[in-house]
Amino acid sequence: MAQSGDSMELSININAAQVTTAYGHRALPKLNEELQSEDLQTRQKALMALCDLMHDPEYIYKAMNIGCMENLKALLKDRNSLVRIKTTEVLYITASHSVGRFAFLEHDIVLALSFLLNDPSPVCRRNLYKAYMQLVQVPRGAEEIISKGLISLLVRKLQGEVEEEFQELILDTLVLCLREDATEALNSNVVPILKHKLISTNENIRSKAAHALLNVSISRVGKKQVCQFDVIPILVHLLKDPVEHVRSNAAGALMFATVITEGKYAALEAEAIGPLLELLHSPMTVARLNATKALTMLAEAPEGRKVLQAHVPIFRAMEVEPHEKPHIAEALQRAARIAVSVIEFKP
Amino acid sequence: MASALTDSTSRAPSTYTYTSRPRALPCQRRRYRDSLTQPDEEPMHYGNIMYDRRVIRGNTYALQTGPLLFDFDLEVTPVLEVLVGKTIEQSLLEVMEEEELANLRASQREYEELRNSERAEVQRLEEQERRHREEKERRKRQQWEIAHKHNETSRKIAARAFAQRYLADLLPSVFGSLRDSGYFYDPIERDIEIGFLPWLMNEVEKTMEYSMVGRTVLDMLIREVVENRLYMYEHQRDSHPSPEPEDEPGGPEAMRESLEASEFLEQSMSQTQRLLLDRDDLQRTTYDESSSQERKFMEESELSGQDEETARRESLGKEELP
Repeated sequence: MAQSGDSMELSININAAQVTTAYGHRALPKLNEELQSEDLQTRQKALMALCDLMHDPEYIYKAMNIGCMENLKALLKDRNSLVRIKTTEVLYITASHSVGRFAFLEHDIVLALSFLLNDPSPVCRRNLYKAYMQLVQVPRGAEEIISKGLISLLVRKLQGEVEEEFQELILDTLVLCLREDATEALNSNVVPILKHKLISTNENIRSKAAHALLNVSISRVGKKQVCQFDVIPILVHLLKDPVEHVRSNAAGALMFATVITEGKYAALEAEAIGPLLELLHSPMTVARLNATKALTMLAEAPEGRKVLQAHVPIFRAMEVEPHEKPHIAEALQRAARIAVSVIEFKP
Repeated sequence: MASALTDSTSRAPSTYTYTSRPRALPCQRRRYRDSLTQPDEEPMHYGNIMYDRRVIRGNTYALQTGPLLFDFDLEVTPVLEVLVGKTIEQSLLEVMEEEELANLRASQREYEELRNSERAEVQRLEEQERRHREEKERRKRQQWEIAHKHNETSRKIAARAFAQRYLADLLPSVFGSLRDSGYFYDPIERDIEIGFLPWLMNEVEKTMEYSMVGRTVLDMLIREVVENRLYMYEHQRDSHPSPEPEDEPGGPEAMRESLEASEFLEQSMSQTQRLLLDRDDLQRTTYDESSSQERKFMEESELSGQDEETARRESLGKEELP
């Protein structure tokens, strides 16, 4: 072996980009101070170290206690883009944990983040969208975003963003927000935009847009708007899409939109019954469930009933079908039974 | 590990126990750069065991020079085990956490799907209910309207029939009452009534008046003649006084007789007057004066005989005067 001398110097700094974190419970206070330092480099390094630490929920909790969040909020307005990028990354990681989400709500970070929606740096925006997406996983987070009036901004961004990844992230956020409360989104014209996204080339975008439309049409106003903007023919077209989950979400959106009479007749005109019947044999349970329910809605109209009377045996077969999970089996059987009863209804 | 330590510290005077303070190893590095020509010295003091020749490591092909310190391979195994084991355990934990999260997400999604389908069912039933209710309302309203119209029509018909019946009687009764009040008159008849008959009556009256007047005049003439005769007769008796006392009783008798005769005349006159009065009420006013005078005469004659003459004379005088 080569004879190399021992160096009296300190060991080489493996990661020059990070500050050395102090040991144990001194880590966060020290980082907190460094975050407030005047030196740009120190701040950047501190942020990078913080990124690594934030994966542990205990550190997040500690950070909240010592007021780290306020510093992070201040750093969001920093002029240096790297600082902003790293700050948003830290916040994104924070939002992945429930303690972190709680921190978001406590310190009103949602509003501070919203100022960065128009940030020039795309990485920054990506982290921002990711942070929002993580936040809305819980209903309380979605409520927060709705109450701060960010939905209309997000919808506009959905239209504006070119990057597909960003569109997917925004759609994810919207899907979960629309589940909570769709009124603000409906006021900001979300249905035509989603309609446009339904014909996108990216299958994820199509699938998420259909899911968003599903959540929109739960409310009565949403149903009316969906019929008004002629989205139903496109949804029927999507029922023949090659990708499975796109079909399933389209069936779900149809299921809700056909509750009102307008929707029923629009779907019948677009000849939705055929593709829906095919979907009954799909491997995905949710697709079958949605298709069954959509066919039940259509069977309430006399024209639909006439067509479906020929297909009653399929539903009867579904009634007795077993499934590994009992509650899913039960749900499927119940849906099939209801469908049969609606089809065979005599006034 | 322990053996290496003990080896290194065996050079030091004190023994190493757990209570002893950590001590930096005596510096064994060369402070100054060696000249390349310097031959190897023994023993070499290395700070790093990796470079120590006396430690046997892995697949080293170095010659074993001198006594061995320790077998690296043997000693490193527990260390490695701990290190690697801990790392793997930690990573397993993290992976399991991720898996758990993924499972949670999946079950959440499943629940959401089921919930969505239930929601759709609820909405469908709601919609059905609403439609039924609306239909019912519409039918009820329709029925009510029909009943209302029916009612109204029947009331209208009844009112119409009643009015017709009522008014059917009206026309003849109107005409009848008008006719009764004399609004429909025959113009000729009316003309005769208005024009001719009053004139006729007037003429008849006049004619009767004429005859009445004639009779009255005749009566007056007769009376005057009779009075004159009486007066003359009484004057004749006065010019013959012998028969006066006899005439006096005769006179009063004659007076009585003449009184009776005049009374008769008066009575007849009064009778004729009464007859006239009875016949023509209308002419009462014209005769009133004369009849009242006659009545006065009659009353006076009934009351006192003597006064009569003077009264008569007075009346004659009165009559002569006009």
